Amino acid sequence: MQKALCSIFFQALAFASSSFGAQSSPAVPELPRLSLDNFSPGIQEQIREAYSHARSHPRDANASGRLGMVLQTYGLFQEAAACYRRAGQLEPTIFQWAYYLGVVEADQGKCDAATSTLRLALRVDPDYLPAKLRLANCLLASAEWDASGMLYAEIVEQHPNNADAYYGLGRVRAARRELAGAAMAYGKATELFPEFGAAHYALALTYRALGEAGQADEQLRFYEKNKTGVPPAGDTLLTEVRALNRSATYQVQYGAELEKQGKLAESAAAHEKALEVDPQLVQAHINLIELYGRLGQFEIAEEHYRAAIRLNPDSAESYYNYGVLLLSAEKFQSAEEAFRKTIEINPYYSGAHNNLGYLLERQGSLAEATVEYRKAVENKPSDRQAHFNLGRLLVNQKKYPEGIQELEKTIEPEDENTPRYVYALGAAFARSGDRQNALHYIRQAREGAAARGQSALLTSIERDLRALEASGPPQ
Amino acid sequence: MPEIMGAGVALFDYDNDGDLDVYVIQGTVFDPSQDARRAKFPPAPGWTPGNRLFRNLLSETGKLQFVDVTEKAGVGHVGYGMGVAVGDYDNDGFQDLYVTNFGRNIFYHNNGDGTFTDVTAKAGVDDPRWSTSAAWVDYDRDGRLDLFVANYLDFTVKGNKHCYASTGERDYCTPKMYQPVPARLFHNRGDGTFEDVTEAAGIGAAVGPGLGIVCADFNGNGWPDIYVANDGAAAHLWINQRNGTFKEMSLLSGAAYSADGLPQAGMGVAAGDFDGDGNEDIFKTNLTNEGANLYVNDGHGNFYDASAEFGLLLPTFPYTGFGTEWFDYDNDGRLDLFIANGAVNRMESLRGSPYPFGQPNQLFHNEGDGKKFREMTGATGSAFAMAEVSRGAAFGDIDNDGAMDIVVANNNGPLRLLLNQSRSLNRNHWLLVRLEASHGNRLGIGALVEVRQKGRRLLRRVHTDSSYLSANDVRVHFGLGEDPKIEDLIVCWPDGQHEAWDKIQADRIVTIRQGTGRSIRSHG
Repeated sequence: MQKALCSIFFQALAFASSSFGAQSSPAVPELPRLSLDNFSPGIQEQIREAYSHARSHPRDANASGRLGMVLQTYGLFQEAAACYRRAGQLEPTIFQWAYYLGVVEADQGKCDAATSTLRLALRVDPDYLPAKLRLANCLLASAEWDASGMLYAEIVEQHPNNADAYYGLGRVRAARRELAGAAMAYGKATELFPEFGAAHYALALTYRALGEAGQADEQLRFYEKNKTGVPPAGDTLLTEVRALNRSATYQVQYGAELEKQGKLAESAAAHEKALEVDPQLVQAHINLIELYGRLGQFEIAEEHYRAAIRLNPDSAESYYNYGVLLLSAEKFQSAEEAFRKTIEINPYYSGAHNNLGYLLERQGSLAEATVEYRKAVENKPSDRQAHFNLGRLLVNQKKYPEGIQELEKTIEPEDENTPRYVYALGAAFARSGDRQNALHYIRQAREGAAARGQSALLTSIERDLRALEASGPPQ
Repeated sequence: MPEIMGAGVALFDYDNDGDLDVYVIQGTVFDPSQDARRAKFPPAPGWTPGNRLFRNLLSETGKLQFVDVTEKAGVGHVGYGMGVAVGDYDNDGFQDLYVTNFGRNIFYHNNGDGTFTDVTAKAGVDDPRWSTSAAWVDYDRDGRLDLFVANYLDFTVKGNKHCYASTGERDYCTPKMYQPVPARLFHNRGDGTFEDVTEAAGIGAAVGPGLGIVCADFNGNGWPDIYVANDGAAAHLWINQRNGTFKEMSLLSGAAYSADGLPQAGMGVAAGDFDGDGNEDIFKTNLTNEGANLYVNDGHGNFYDASAEFGLLLPTFPYTGFGTEWFDYDNDGRLDLFIANGAVNRMESLRGSPYPFGQPNQLFHNEGDGKKFREMTGATGSAFAMAEVSRGAAFGDIDNDGAMDIVVANNNGPLRLLLNQSRSLNRNHWLLVRLEASHGNRLGIGALVEVRQKGRRLLRRVHTDSSYLSANDVRVHFGLGEDPKIEDLIVCWPDGQHEAWDKIQADRIVTIRQGTGRSIRSHG
C-alpha cells in the first residue's frame, strides 16, 4: 500500500468529493455510545481501552479506526461502522478505514452503501484484491450483473490464478443463464482450487441444467468431499481484525476448524487458550476430552472430563466423550456407566445407544444390545455404523431377513467404507443360503476394494469369493 | 432453546359455518410445578394455560368477533406448544387438528358438533421428540390424508447447554450445538389409525433439524413431493417415487443451499407459482445476515436461487424470517409475499431492552414480468411498523371480503390479526374457491385450481401447510385484477381427474363439487 506522493494527492481529491471525505461532511462523527454490560471482562477491558484511547485522541484517525476494528471483531458492526466513518473523515487517504467500512456494510447486507464505500476505497488502493472481490460480490447480490461481471472479468485478467474471481464470474453468467460460459468459469475455479466446495456445487447445478447428468453427479461427489473448502482469502487486513478477537468462543471455533483439518495438537492448544480466557467454558473442556483422548493423553482428557461435569453435571456430551475415552482404554464397565448417564440426560443420543449396544453385545446381552442398536438407528437413521452393528447382530442370531435389511442400509453413500459394508452384506446373504445375492454383492465389494486400492480387504474378499464360487454351479 | 422457537397458529373453519376460526398454540413452563406468573416474562393477567380456540361469529352476527370456545371444544392442551396442522383425516367433512410440542404431540379428532376428541394414542401418531411443523399430504393418492411431522433437535431441558455471543454474553445456542432428530411419516390406514412408515418410505435416509414444511408437486408428475427447511443445514426435497417411497433430491435439485452453495438457517417455507409459468416456486426464510431464498422451478423440479434477481436477497438480509406465504394481497392476480420476522439471538441495536429480539415484519409486492419485488413494508400502515418477535403466520380471508388477511403469532407477545384493507384502495376482483371431493381427501388438499382469464392463467394449490408451525385457510384465493371475467375454472383433483367449469362469477365464495363440471383430459 505504499503510494507515490502524486498518486495520494489525486486520490485524496477523489475522496474529498465523496460522502466519506471531510469536505462534504465537515463535522466529524461522534464515537458510538457503547453499553458493555454482560460482556466478558477481558472483552470489556479491551474495548474500554480502545475507546479511551480514541476519546483522548479525538483527531487521531488510527485511534478511531482501531476502536472500529475491536468492535468489528466482536460483531458490533453498526458501532464499528461509526468508528470507521469517523476515521475516514479524519484521514480520507487511508485505504484501511474505507475498506473496513465497506466490509461491515456488506456484512450487514447494506450493499448500496458498501458498493459506494468500496469504490472509494479502491480509488485509494486499486490493487487490493479482496476489496475488488467484495465489491464484485456486492454488485452480484444487488443483481447488477453487468457491473459485477465486468469487475470479475477484470480481476480474472489481472489475476488469472484467482479461483474466487472465476467462481464469481460463473455466478454472474449463471444468473444470466449463460450456462456454457458459467460451466467454463466454474470449471476453471475448481481447477485452480480443487477443494472449492461451492464451485463444485455450482458446477454440478450448471451441468444439470445443461443436461449433463453424469458430470453433474461427478461434481456433486467432489462437493461432498469438500463441502466447506474455500480458497485462502489472502485478506491481510481482515486477518488483523480477527487477530484482535480475545473471546473464548472464538478460540473454540478456531480449535474446531483445526480439528476438522486433522491438526489435533493445534486444536487442543486453541481450546486451552479459550480456557485461559474463560475457565468456565464447558464446551472447551468437552472438546478437550475428545482431543486429548485422540492424542493418547488419557489423564489430561480425564481432568477435562472432571472439570466439565463440575461446571455442568448435566452435560450429555461430557459423559459421551468420556465414555468414548474409556472405551478406547478398554475400561468397559466405566464406559457403560458413562453411556447410560448420557442417555439418562439425552434419551435421543444415537451414538451413546450405539456404543452401549456394543458393550452389551460384548457381555452377551444380545436382546438388550439389539434394543440399544434399534434406538440408535431410530434417532439417527443415517447412522451407518449402528445399522451395521444391528444387522451383524441379527445375522449372528440367524435372523437373516431382518439383519440383511439393516445391512442394506449401509451400502450408501459411496465412499472408502462402502466396499467393507457391501462385503458384509454379501457375507450375510451367503450365511442365509442366498448364494446368488452373496456372489453379486461380494463381487461388487471386490470391484470397489480394487478400485480404491484396499489390498488387505481385497485379499479377504477374494478368499471368500473363491470359496463361494467353488461351492456351487458357476454364476 | 424451545422458548425462542415457538409458536404457530391455525386458520380453519372448525364448525363449517362458513368463516375462519383461530386456533392458537401456547407455551407453558417447563416444570409443571412452577407458577407461570412468576416467570421472567409472566403472561398477561387473566391468562389461562393451554392452547386456545377462538370461534368467529361473522357468519352468525355479520360482525368479525371472536369468542373463546376452548373449554367447550376440548382443545386446550397444556404443553410446550410449537405448531399445528389442519386436515380432514377421516373425510367426514370436518377439519381435524394435529398439534406439535416440545414433548408429546396431540391429535384432535373434530367430532362435528363443536367438540374434539384426543385420539393420539388410538391413531398412533405421537412423537415424544421436539416436533415443529407438520403437514397433511396424501402421498400415495389413496384418498386419505397422511401426516408428515418435522422434528428438530435432540435438545432436552436437563441437557441444556450454555452458549455465548461473540462478546461473551449468554445467548441462545445455534442448532449446531445439538444433533438433529429424524422426521416421521405416518400412513393413514383409513380406519382411524396410522402406520409409521418413516423407514419404509425412505424418509429416514436423511436427517436434518426440520422447521418449515410444504408439500407440492414440484416436478410436475402428478404426485406430491415434500420440501423441508432445515435450520443450519441443507434443506430436504423428498421426491415422491410413486410407489410409497421418497428419494431425497435437494442437492441436485438446486433447492438445498443458497446461490453460493452454503447451508442456511431455513425456518419458514412457501410454494407457489409467483411467475405464472405453471409450476411451484419455493420461498424460504432464513437467519439474519443470510437473506431469504427464492428458488425458481423449471417445471421439472430443478431450481435456481433467484433471490438477488428478484430483489428479495438484500431486503431480507437484516432479519430472521419465520412465517411466510405466497398470497395476492392486492388482488392483482400476482402472488406477493409476507414474512414474519423476529431474531433468535440478542440484537445489538436493542441492547438494554428486556427482550432484544424484535424485528418488523415485511410485505413484498410482486411487480410481475420478471421485475424485482417491491418492498411495501413502510407503506402498508401501522401494523408493519411494529417490531415484535414474530414466528408463525396463518393466511386466509377471515372476514370473507375477498382480501387475504394474516394472523401472526408472536413469541412472548400478543397474537396480531392483520386485517387487509386493500379492497378499499383498488377495484380489483377476486374469487374464493372451496373444493369438495366426491370420494376421499374431501377438502381436496393437493388439488390444483386454475382460473383462466383473457390472456392469463392463474394456478393455485389447495393446501393448509407452508409458512412456519402454522396452518392456512384451505380455501383457494384468486385475485383477478380489474377484469372480473373468468373464462374457465379448472380443477385437477388429487385423484388425477380434471374438470372444468365456466360461468363462474367473480367476487364471491364458491364451492366446487367433484363431478359437477365437465370432464377434461388435462388442464395443460
